[in-house]
Amino acid sequence: MHRFRIPWSLFPVFRHSLRHAGTPRAVLVGSSWPAKMAAPAVKAARAWSGLALGLRNAVLRLPGLTQVRWSRYGPEYKDPHIDKEYYRKPLAELTEEENYERELRKTQLIKAAPATKTCSVFEDPVISKFTNMMMKGGNKVLARSLMTQTLEAVKRKQFEKYHAASAEEQATIERNPYTIFHQALKNCEPVIGLVPILRGGHFYQVPVPLGDRRRRFLAMKWMITECREKKHRRMLMPEKLSHELLEAFHNQGPVIKRKHDMHKMAEANRALAHYRWW
Amino acid sequence: DSSPLQRLPCLDAGHFLHTGSQAPQNLAAHLDNQVPVESPRAVSRTSESDPAKHGEQHEGQHYNIPLQDLKAVFPHGLPPRFVMQVKTFNEACLMVRKPALELLHYLKNTNFAHPAVRYVLYGEKGTGKTLSLCHIIHFCAKQDWLILHIPDAHLWVKNCRNLLQSTYNKQRLDQPLEASIWLKNFKTANERFLSQIKVQEKYVWNKRESTEKGSPLGEVVEQGITRVRNATDAVGIVLKELKRQSSSGIFHLLVAVDGVNALWGRTTLKREDKSPIAPEELALIYNLRKMVKNDWHGGAIVLTLSQTGSVFKPRKAFLPQELLGKEGFDTLDPFIPILVSNYNPKEFESCIQYYLENNWLQHEKAHTEDGKKELLFLSNTNPGQLERLCAYL
Repeated sequence: MHRFRIPWSLFPVFRHSLRHAGTPRAVLVGSSWPAKMAAPAVKAARAWSGLALGLRNAVLRLPGLTQVRWSRYGPEYKDPHIDKEYYRKPLAELTEEENYERELRKTQLIKAAPATKTCSVFEDPVISKFTNMMMKGGNKVLARSLMTQTLEAVKRKQFEKYHAASAEEQATIERNPYTIFHQALKNCEPVIGLVPILRGGHFYQVPVPLGDRRRRFLAMKWMITECREKKHRRMLMPEKLSHELLEAFHNQGPVIKRKHDMHKMAEANRALAHYRWW
Repeated sequence: DSSPLQRLPCLDAGHFLHTGSQAPQNLAAHLDNQVPVESPRAVSRTSESDPAKHGEQHEGQHYNIPLQDLKAVFPHGLPPRFVMQVKTFNEACLMVRKPALELLHYLKNTNFAHPAVRYVLYGEKGTGKTLSLCHIIHFCAKQDWLILHIPDAHLWVKNCRNLLQSTYNKQRLDQPLEASIWLKNFKTANERFLSQIKVQEKYVWNKRESTEKGSPLGEVVEQGITRVRNATDAVGIVLKELKRQSSSGIFHLLVAVDGVNALWGRTTLKREDKSPIAPEELALIYNLRKMVKNDWHGGAIVLTLSQTGSVFKPRKAFLPQELLGKEGFDTLDPFIPILVSNYNPKEFESCIQYYLENNWLQHEKAHTEDGKKELLFLSNTNPGQLERLCAYL
């Protein structure tokens, strides 16, 4: 199983994105691709260390791995349940297992819920992630206000189009800014990506299938970069973002073009596909 | 159950909203004694578009203002977010609320022989003072009054680029830009009166131009618009003439000032030698103060306090004493204060209903009970906050 095999030669130099919250990531200095494979190993090591009275030092004994970001919580801490329905259930309705689980949780240690996770009905993890990626210098207030202004701008533009359109077209116009946002990001996700692999002293761009998280991250990253760089100095972010989102929703625009460019490059480098060993 | 509604005092909102959305028929039965004619579906709207006929039974309902009327009556003065909403929905709907109804009642019973009564709308930020003022202005326009509407007095005491020394009085300062913009809008709003009212004095603008006695007021306004240097003096003349002639009975005068607390207090303007300018040194403010005094009759004065655009006032201040200061309060005393507060449950439900009818709330969860409860909690029934929340949901 790959989780216990860490190849020490010829691993690709790849800037692993550090945007995965939650699980601790152990990073080898200079190269982080093994981290993805090592993370389960780290988790396994943690489980072992949990058995060994919560000692976290066992992880450090794995060769070549240093922990750069870790949670201060030990393995005995459980994740909190942020769900109003879970707590609203009257005690009579609970099954035996649920009852047992409830009793068990009363004695367990529970992590504090992050500030961004609420039991609000309007909460959307994709929107939260996008807002965090737009944030600069920890200014969440500004990032969130930009996000809400963008959604409002999208909505108003769609309403204008709706009122200007004829009756048949009105059925096709989508006015919900959230569906537009989700669909636009889905349209921007690349299917296949390129990874630089070192062979014989040269780095070759090898086409590689991307995982779900990487695809979502790339879509959001491209959208934000495009909106930050390719706009007029005086144009505001919500206006530009709303314009780009609407274009991506209709499968047009620069972000979709970038996705297609990525696909074309992958197609062009098809021959190098056998450099991939995973 | 950790429902936040249980912590809100004197609000049976949870119970009310529950019946409201669950069964419209129940709501109709609840309101049956007040609204026998309205169908249960259209709780948020009323077909009565004449403000004169608005009464207790229309409270909480939206009435429609035709778009041509809107352009004619409100060339300026509507809050910017409301203008955006009108553009998006292609219709202008104002909610009929208690403070406006109270004011309408007073205005309908004004005695034009007595000096003009001053009404002051005050309240916290976002409660609907400006829109209540617009409701009153619409009523007075329908009743054929002459509307003297200053949309935001704060614009005259801050961020003014060109200040000229006044030609009329060396101590005072002119604001040509602001005055000319206001004159243009005044002309749009009161076209028909400008030819009827005649000036009672001769005014000499400069060596070549002058306005003779007996010429229509429209000429003074034209002069102010074309010769921007004399715009402030034109405004002063207009105010003086209107005040003098309002008692004659040809027309009723409504003086509507939004953000009247700008007239007393401080300005952010400075002279070239960096010395601060007091409000009374600005000719526009000086003349407006004379207008707001109750030494004339034949109309009414409706004022609004506003902290939002004000300068050097703390954010939480909303009471007349805090915003007007001693000087302003003493000048305005005696006045009738009218508190504009947040939505009550019925108005809140009506507002949500209005947004749902216009398909403004697009989020799927916003239609549910939980969504409405959350909106109520997040906005604290503040109309301004609710509007901003619903804009992105």
